[in-house]
Amino acid sequence: MTLETKRWVIGGLGALFLVSLIMVQWLETARRAEEAGLRPASVSAPASSVACVDCHAQANPGIVDHWTGSSHAEKGVGCVECHTATAAEPDAYLHYGETIATVVTPLDCARCHVDEAAEFAASHHSKAGNILASLDNYLAETVEGSREDFNPHSPTPGRAFDMVNGNASAQSGCKQCHGGKVALQSTDGSVITVDDLQPDENGIPTNQAVLATIVKDDKGQPLYDPGTWPNTGIGRLNLDGSAGSCTACHSRHDFSPRRARQPENCGKCHLGPDHPQKEIFEESKHGIAYRDLKDDMNLDAVDWVLGVDYSAAPTCATCHMSGNMRNGGKVTHDPGERISWTNRPPVSVAMDTDANHAIVKSTDEDERRALTVDSWEDKRNRMKDVCSHCHSPNYVNGFYEQYDSFVQLYNEKFGKPGQAIVAALAEHGARTPTQFDEEIEWTWFYLWHHEGRRARHGASMMAPDYTHWHGMYEVAERFYMELIPQAREMADHRGGSAGAAVHRVINDILARPEHAWFEEGAAEQSERIRQEMERRYGQGSERRDGAE
Amino acid sequence: MSSIAQWIQDRIPVSPHVIREMSNEPVPYHMKHWWFALGGTPAYLFVVQIITGILLSFYYEASTGSAYASVQYITDQAAFGWYIRSVHKWAATLMIAAVVLHQMRVYFTGAYRRPREMSWMVGMALLLTTLGLGFTGYSLVFEQLSFWGATVGANMTDSVPVVGSLLKNMMLAGETYNPRTLSRFFILHAAVLPVTMVGLIILHIVIIRLQGVTEFWFKGEEPQNVGKGKFDFFPDHFYTELTLGLVLMILLSTLATIFPATMGPQADPLTTPEVIKPEWFFYVVFRWLKLFPGTFAILSTGFVIFTMFTWPFIDAQIRRRTRFQEASVWIGILGVLAIVALTLWEAFVAH
Repeated sequence: MTLETKRWVIGGLGALFLVSLIMVQWLETARRAEEAGLRPASVSAPASSVACVDCHAQANPGIVDHWTGSSHAEKGVGCVECHTATAAEPDAYLHYGETIATVVTPLDCARCHVDEAAEFAASHHSKAGNILASLDNYLAETVEGSREDFNPHSPTPGRAFDMVNGNASAQSGCKQCHGGKVALQSTDGSVITVDDLQPDENGIPTNQAVLATIVKDDKGQPLYDPGTWPNTGIGRLNLDGSAGSCTACHSRHDFSPRRARQPENCGKCHLGPDHPQKEIFEESKHGIAYRDLKDDMNLDAVDWVLGVDYSAAPTCATCHMSGNMRNGGKVTHDPGERISWTNRPPVSVAMDTDANHAIVKSTDEDERRALTVDSWEDKRNRMKDVCSHCHSPNYVNGFYEQYDSFVQLYNEKFGKPGQAIVAALAEHGARTPTQFDEEIEWTWFYLWHHEGRRARHGASMMAPDYTHWHGMYEVAERFYMELIPQAREMADHRGGSAGAAVHRVINDILARPEHAWFEEGAAEQSERIRQEMERRYGQGSERRDGAE
Repeated sequence: MSSIAQWIQDRIPVSPHVIREMSNEPVPYHMKHWWFALGGTPAYLFVVQIITGILLSFYYEASTGSAYASVQYITDQAAFGWYIRSVHKWAATLMIAAVVLHQMRVYFTGAYRRPREMSWMVGMALLLTTLGLGFTGYSLVFEQLSFWGATVGANMTDSVPVVGSLLKNMMLAGETYNPRTLSRFFILHAAVLPVTMVGLIILHIVIIRLQGVTEFWFKGEEPQNVGKGKFDFFPDHFYTELTLGLVLMILLSTLATIFPATMGPQADPLTTPEVIKPEWFFYVVFRWLKLFPGTFAILSTGFVIFTMFTWPFIDAQIRRRTRFQEASVWIGILGVLAIVALTLWEAFVAH
C-alpha cells in the first residue's frame, strides 16, 4: 500500500471519527441542556401510544402539546399507561384496539404513584366531596337551584329550552372545586354512580347487573351524565370507588409540578369571599416576596426542597406540602399534616386527628389523648420546621402566640356566642327547621362562613387587612348590628317563656366583660378619642370627620 | 551579548549554541503538513488543562457534602468560573480526540515499528492516563450521572477475575462509594495522574528525540526535491504548533461560550437514574459491556488493550511470518469502524 493510499485512509477515517465526534457531542450537549432544564427534553411517544399521539395531534393538538412537555412524556409514559382499563370497568371501551377509560382516577395514578395516592387519600382534600350533605350543598341545590328540574316559565328567544336543570349551580360551582359523583347515563333515564356499582378495592363493580343498563354511543363508548363530567373537583367520587382527582392540582396533560407549586394553582378554589387564601397570601409578606422573587424560586427543580433548591419565598405548596431541608425533603400530599387549627367550621377546632385522619371531637381530655394519633402540636411542629428556614424560633413562636390569641378571640367573643344564640332560637322554637328561610340564618352564615373565616385565615397567613377590615371588623358589625337585633326580634316574636329563654341567652352573652361596651356604653373611651382627634387635627375635627 | 544575557550566562553556564542545538532538531519535511503536528496538540491541551485545573481547584471541595455546591459556585458565581470550567471540559474532549487522531496517524503509517516500539507503548500509556483523567474528572462534579457512572465503573472493575475486588476497593477506598471516594478521585485527578502524564510525556519526547520521527516522502517531496529534506524545529515547526494552538484556543473559547458546561441533578445514592451514561469516550466500552456478559466483556476489553499495547511486536510477527504485509491497515480500519459504530450506537440508544 502506497503512502498516498495510507494518506487517504488516515484522512477518511480521521474525518469519520471527527464527524462521529461532532454527532456524539451534539447529542451529549443536547442531553446536558435538557438535564439542566435549559431546553425541553426531546420526547417520542412510546410504542403503545404512537397511534393515539398521531391521531390526537390532529384532533386535539393542545392535549398532545401539553403531554409532549410533560415529565410523563420524558419518562416514556404515554396515553395508554394512564387511560388503560379492563373490560370489567363500567366506563371502559374499546378505542382503536385499546381498552381505555376517559376518566383517570387516583386509583389509576396509584399504579405508579403509590405513596402520593396514599397521602392524598388520607387528606381533607380527598374528602372535599363530602359537602354533598352540607349547608353549602343545600344552598346550591335548593336555595340557589332546585331539587327537581322544572319547566321554564317563559320562552328564551332563539333557544328551545324545555327544562331547567335545578342542579346547575351545584354542578358548575360547588362540584367543580369539591368534586361530585361521576355518573354514567342509564337506559332508564336515571344515572349510575359509585353507589350503584359498589366497586371492590380494585375498582371493579360488584353489582354486575347495573352494567347492562349503561347507555353507550354507536362506537360502544359509555356516556357520562353531562352534569357530572367534565369535573376535576379535588374530592370527586369516582366510579371505581376512589375519591379525588389528581388533575385538580396537576393539570392534565402536562401534570406540571411547576404549576402545582404556584399559588395560582390553589387559587382555582381557595379564593373568594368565604376562604380567600390566595388573596390573603398575596397581601402577606410571603406573597409580596414571591411576586418579586419568582424568578429565583427554581420552580422547575426536580425535588424543589426548601433550603436546598430555593429559599427566596414560600408559596402555598412550600408551607403545606413540599419538602424542606428540615424534614429530609419529604413532600406530603396531605396538606392537613401541618395545620394546627381548622378555621373552616363556625368555631375553630384544634387539629388533633385520629387513626382515620378525622378530627377528634371529644371534650374529655383523657379520651382525646387516647384517640389522638397525630396531635395539633405535631402538626404545628411540622409547620415550624418550614418557618424556621427563614425565621428564628422566637419569631415563629411569637407569631403563633398572636395567631392563637386571635383564633381564641374570635371563638370566644363571636364564634361560640353566635352558635349559642342561633341554637337557642332553634331550641326554643323561634326558628323554623328550614335553613336559609330566615334572615338570621343568612346573617349567621355570613358571620362565620365568610367574615369569620376571612379573619382567621388572614391571621393564620399574616394578612392584616383580611384579619381586620375584611375580617373581624365585619364579624363585629354583623354580630352587633344584625345578629343580636334579629335574634331579639325573633325572641320577641316568639314571646312567652321561650322568647324569654332566648333573651336570657343573649343577655348572658352581652353581660360578659368583652361585650359590656355594647349595652353599658363606652362613653369615657369615646371622649378620649374625641379629645385626641381635636389635639391632632384641631377643634371640631372629630365631629366633622366622624370616628376618624 | 546584552548585560542581562551575560548575567544569566554567568550563572547558568550553558552555551546558547547548545540550547539552539537541543531545540533545533532537524524536522523531516513531511511535518510541514499540519496533520503531522497532531502529536503536539494533546500536549498543548494538557497545558490548558493544568492551568484551568489549578484555577478550578481554588474553589473545588472534594467532599460528598460540598462537591456539588462548589462546582455550582464555580459555574454560577465565581468570576469567569463558567468559562474556566467549560474550557476545562471541552479541552478534555478535544485532548482525547487529538490523542486518538494522533494515534491513528501513527498506526496507519506504521510509525510504531522498530525501533520506535517504546514510543508507541508510552503513547498507549498516555492514552490510558488521559482516559483515567477523564473518568476521575467527570466523577468530581458529583452529579447524578457522574456518581452512578463511577459506581458502574467500580462494579465493572469488580468483574475482573482474581484482582477485581481489590481494584474496586482501591478505586473506591472501600466496598462501596463512601465519603473517602471523592477525595481519592480528586487526588488521582489533580496529582497522581497529571504527574504520571508529565513523566510519560517527557519519556515520549526523549524517545522521539533519540530515535527521531519516522520520515515520509510524499510524491514530489523526496529529499532530492526539497533540499536537505529537513527543516529547523525552531522557528518553522514551532510556528506550525503555535498556529494549531491558537486555532484550538479559538475553538475552545467558541465551544465554551456556545455550549457551556451545565449542571445535572445532584448525586443521590438512593435513586438510580433511568439512564446511566458515562462520558462519551467510554461509550464504546459501555456498549461492549451491554452486548456481552460481564466477565467476558471485561476480559475481552483487557485483551484489546493488551493487544494495542503490544501491537508493534504482534505486527512484526505478522509481517515476518505471513505474507500479509498490510494486515495492520485492514485491522486498523476495522478497529476504527468498530469504535465509531459502538460509540454512535450508545450515543443514539441512550436517547
